[in-house]
Amino acid sequence: MRVPLSWLREYVDFELGVERLVELFTLHSQEIDGVYRLGVTAGEVVVGEVVEFGPHPNADRLSVAKVDLGGREVQIVAGAPNPYPGARVPVVLPGSVMADGTKLKKAKLRGLESYGMMMSERELGISADHGGILLLDETHEPGRPVADYFPVGETVIDIDVTPNRPDLWGMIGVARELAAILRTEFRVPEIPYEAGGEPTGAFGLRVEAEDLCPRYDLRRVSGLAPGLEAPLWMRRRIHAAGMRPINAVVDATNYVMLETGQPIHAFDAAKVHGGIVARRGRPNEKITLLDGTTRTLDGEMLVIADEERGLVIAGVMGAEDAEVSAGTTDALIEVANFAGDNILRTSQRLGLRTDASGRFERGLDPNMADLAMGRVVGLLARNPGGDVAPDTLSHYPEPVQPWRVPLRLPRAELLLGMPVGAEEAASRLGALGCEVEADGQELAATVPTFRRDLRREVDLVEEVGRLIGLDQVPEELPGVPQPGGLTPDQQRRRLLRRLLADLGLSEAITYTFGPRRWTDDLNAQGGAGAVRIKNPLSAENGNLRASILPGLLDAAARNKTFGLRGGAIFEVGRVFAPDPPSRALQGAALKFRMTGSVDALGPDAEPNKDSLMGVREEESVGVVLAGTIRPAGWNAPPVRAGFFEAKGLVERLVPGATFAPDAPSFLHPGRSAVVRVGEVKAGWVGELHPETAEKFGLDGWPVAAFELDPGVCRPDVEPRFEPFVSVPAIARDLAVVVERAVPVGEMAASVQGIGGLLAEVRVFDVYEGDQVPEGHKSVALGFVFQGERTLTDEEVDAEMARITAHLDERFAGRVRS
Amino acid sequence: MAVNGRIEELKNAALSAVRGAESTAALEDARVRYLGRSAELTEIKKSIGTLSPDERKEVGRSANLASREIEGALEAKTAQLSAGEREERLRAEAVDVTLPGVPHPRGNLHPSQRIIDEVVDFFVGLGYGVAEGPEAETDYYNFTALGIPPGHPARTMQDTFFLDDGLVLRTHTSPVQVRTMLSQPPPVYVVCPGRTYRRDSDPTHTPMFHQIEGLAVDRGLTLGHLKGTLAAMARHVFGDDVTVRLRPSYFQFTEPSVELDVSCFRCGGSDPNCKVCKGAGWLEMLGAGMVDPGVLEEAGVDPEEYTGFAFGMGPDRMAMAKYGIPDLRLFFEGDLRFLRQF
Ligand SMILES: [Zn+2]
Repeated sequence: MRVPLSWLREYVDFELGVERLVELFTLHSQEIDGVYRLGVTAGEVVVGEVVEFGPHPNADRLSVAKVDLGGREVQIVAGAPNPYPGARVPVVLPGSVMADGTKLKKAKLRGLESYGMMMSERELGISADHGGILLLDETHEPGRPVADYFPVGETVIDIDVTPNRPDLWGMIGVARELAAILRTEFRVPEIPYEAGGEPTGAFGLRVEAEDLCPRYDLRRVSGLAPGLEAPLWMRRRIHAAGMRPINAVVDATNYVMLETGQPIHAFDAAKVHGGIVARRGRPNEKITLLDGTTRTLDGEMLVIADEERGLVIAGVMGAEDAEVSAGTTDALIEVANFAGDNILRTSQRLGLRTDASGRFERGLDPNMADLAMGRVVGLLARNPGGDVAPDTLSHYPEPVQPWRVPLRLPRAELLLGMPVGAEEAASRLGALGCEVEADGQELAATVPTFRRDLRREVDLVEEVGRLIGLDQVPEELPGVPQPGGLTPDQQRRRLLRRLLADLGLSEAITYTFGPRRWTDDLNAQGGAGAVRIKNPLSAENGNLRASILPGLLDAAARNKTFGLRGGAIFEVGRVFAPDPPSRALQGAALKFRMTGSVDALGPDAEPNKDSLMGVREEESVGVVLAGTIRPAGWNAPPVRAGFFEAKGLVERLVPGATFAPDAPSFLHPGRSAVVRVGEVKAGWVGELHPETAEKFGLDGWPVAAFELDPGVCRPDVEPRFEPFVSVPAIARDLAVVVERAVPVGEMAASVQGIGGLLAEVRVFDVYEGDQVPEGHKSVALGFVFQGERTLTDEEVDAEMARITAHLDERFAGRVRS
Repeated sequence: MAVNGRIEELKNAALSAVRGAESTAALEDARVRYLGRSAELTEIKKSIGTLSPDERKEVGRSANLASREIEGALEAKTAQLSAGEREERLRAEAVDVTLPGVPHPRGNLHPSQRIIDEVVDFFVGLGYGVAEGPEAETDYYNFTALGIPPGHPARTMQDTFFLDDGLVLRTHTSPVQVRTMLSQPPPVYVVCPGRTYRRDSDPTHTPMFHQIEGLAVDRGLTLGHLKGTLAAMARHVFGDDVTVRLRPSYFQFTEPSVELDVSCFRCGGSDPNCKVCKGAGWLEMLGAGMVDPGVLEEAGVDPEEYTGFAFGMGPDRMAMAKYGIPDLRLFFEGDLRFLRQF
């Protein structure tokens, strides 16, 4: 809402700089989006009379004038050709400052002195018109300041009105608010007129759709002088408030809308057949609007029609047909109230939002019609000078009455946390237009109907609180009667993220929705499909992710294009899968989703309501290692992404995990594994299948990845003391040749299982090549033996023999000498 | 006596060999030659038994004295030489200390997550729990239960992603608060961090972003408790010097509703060209308010007995302010040039 301060001063007096005004509004009422300046912000503008006007001797497109500034003649060079000897013009004097900050100086233009400047409407902030110099009428006296007639500069504050305050969509409401903040008076000057024109009753009024149209008032103004524009002061205000002046009648309706917040429509009475009908749209009814578009109505849209055709989509936009124009001499003025939710629906259906629809959809006060009607016909009577009909046709079957809202002061003090005096509360509410009765600590406010947001005690508490000032609210801490903390799952995810970061990985957060190729290119497992977004931002980004991997792969590919040599990223977040309820429960599911009701599930409802959600949502942790994950150092080779780098991380996150082939098909078939904890599948780890890498634009980079259920991760294992023996342990090594296909992990685990004095097994080398038969490999194992007392060589030899025999028996392993 | 003379000669020869030794190896040679098993002096000592008792006594004494003297010299010279040699060795072992050490690269936590962790830790310290809920949420929990029934104008303000019938991607984390209130009786003290979604994409809006909302419902909670709690939170995140102010505002599920501004942690309002606050001196930090009695009732809580406050903030924007990040879109690209800065 753009509020020109000179307009605001018509209703309320204030002596404040604009900065202080903005601050007061911000702290007590609404946010201010901006402050704009128009016209001349400092200096002097006087009325001048053109004495001579002719072409500039040295420039084709310039003119030169001699202008009388009230006994003083000056020479002014002008760009516009429209002044003439005898014309009265506004002249801004050197030293003045324009709205854009430029300071006007005496100048020489193409060799001629120019003292100041004759001004256009735009330069004075009256309108957007820059077509010529503004010509003033005879009432403007040469030499007098123009400001004696109308303001030459304007400051406009742009209020960001919250949706609960439609009363602030008008200057009068803003003035009332400011007066309440400043604890001062405000007034609405009357616009007197005499009635006596053609009767409105010559036309009919019928409201058929009463539910959509709580009030409809119609009044005729006849005998209008055609072809006039609105007076300068009015056009100036309309322009400053951000609207475009059109003609005298339309401007008067817009002016009163800006003043009261109430949209007003004017019909050309000569084009209305029979009377006005407010009805629902008819099947397939079409209406061609002012903006030139033809719209098809439906049966829930309200139409203002005459007996023959639709004239206006109520509250949204009128048709060309019956609109007032420059030639209109007889007008029917509509001031109506429409059901806000219906206007919202219509405007959404049509994809058409207008200033009027935006106001109606918030729900306006039907009682505002009287004030608005009185002011608009009064203004029309003055200009373009019409005759106001003696009668108003009004449909208002259920007048809205002010309502009473009680306010208990202790309740206000509890909610606000500060003392609230009865007198203060009463006067604050009074300033907002309430009538307040007080009985000790109990107040009762009769709320004016333009404050439809004040329905409950708590609404009044807010008003009192903000007007007293929220800076008065003390800072206190409540005593929280419970221990806080993360749940074990939350704690685990927190540790997991910290651990991965400590291990050198970077945490990424990627979009949880993405393109179809995320599932297609990963050969989506099981064919369960993805959860779809019905209205994605772009058609190809409509799938919720079923895995964290594709988002991280896209990120890795971007990093590759950026010229990076590789990196390690991880993300912890949700993945989604469709989980439709059974056919029998589909009705119950929809009811639950729309109303929260789980009655249909019977006595077990609470614990089972998740089954109605339709989407299974789980936490997941994903890691992608791509390219060179650690650059070469001066004494260390580079580390490149690979299966064992990824597996090592998995082993750190999930101690005791087991690994077996049979991983998803988007992975390298020979370099991937399913990760299990006991019998439970915890995820997968592996290098990317070259085909997958190519699809994601990662070809040429080694890529290894894993994805795990964070629930099975143990970033921090609860420690438990194990007794240890302090006699020295004995270490022995052994190299065994086995067939290449033998899994070394199994060998080590199997040896570990033989027990006895063997405390530890470690694989420290795997070798193929010279001195190892074709198709075989040599595996070097290190053992640590530990007894209750110092072991003898013989004892250890016996254990080694047992191990050798076991390896021979289970794995056909031959000891290399 | 001839033997004693020989002992004297040997001693002098040994001492001069020791003095002249230039390495611990040469010294060892000298030790073997003059005191070793087959050294002449050793031989003399062995042959003492064949001498007369008088000679035995005298030769024994001078041989022992000579041995001791040689040993003493050896010891002194060894210490001298080995100290020098150790120094030599250390000199040779010197490295270029300006070369980098073995790398233990630091990883990174996402800037939004850093803020979330900080805020969550603060509230956990006060005694709050942490609640989470589904990102694919029902229409009821996301809207209706918060006083935004179907057809309400506020629904159009939140450009919503729709899933299956009656399901949306949550537009805020408020439904988690509703679920919390429905699942436990007061007192409730909980924060709800998480991802949220709005169908909006431009330089200052991403269709996915984070929120942290909080809810306290108890007997006797006031706007003052809200203000004090959030002021302490702001100081935890932005430093001890910041102050807060409340401004009236409007939200569907709180009444009174306020917005909380935090004084600029960079300039405190003193710099008209400040990059952080753009000269305003204040940063818009969060929306908050006293829980609307209608919302309490919807959750089965008697608003006459209990009051509560709720608040919501955007950790992404807080991270932008705190770390000086110019563009929200950087947050969700996985760009390592960005991530590695945190
Ligand atoms: Zn600043």
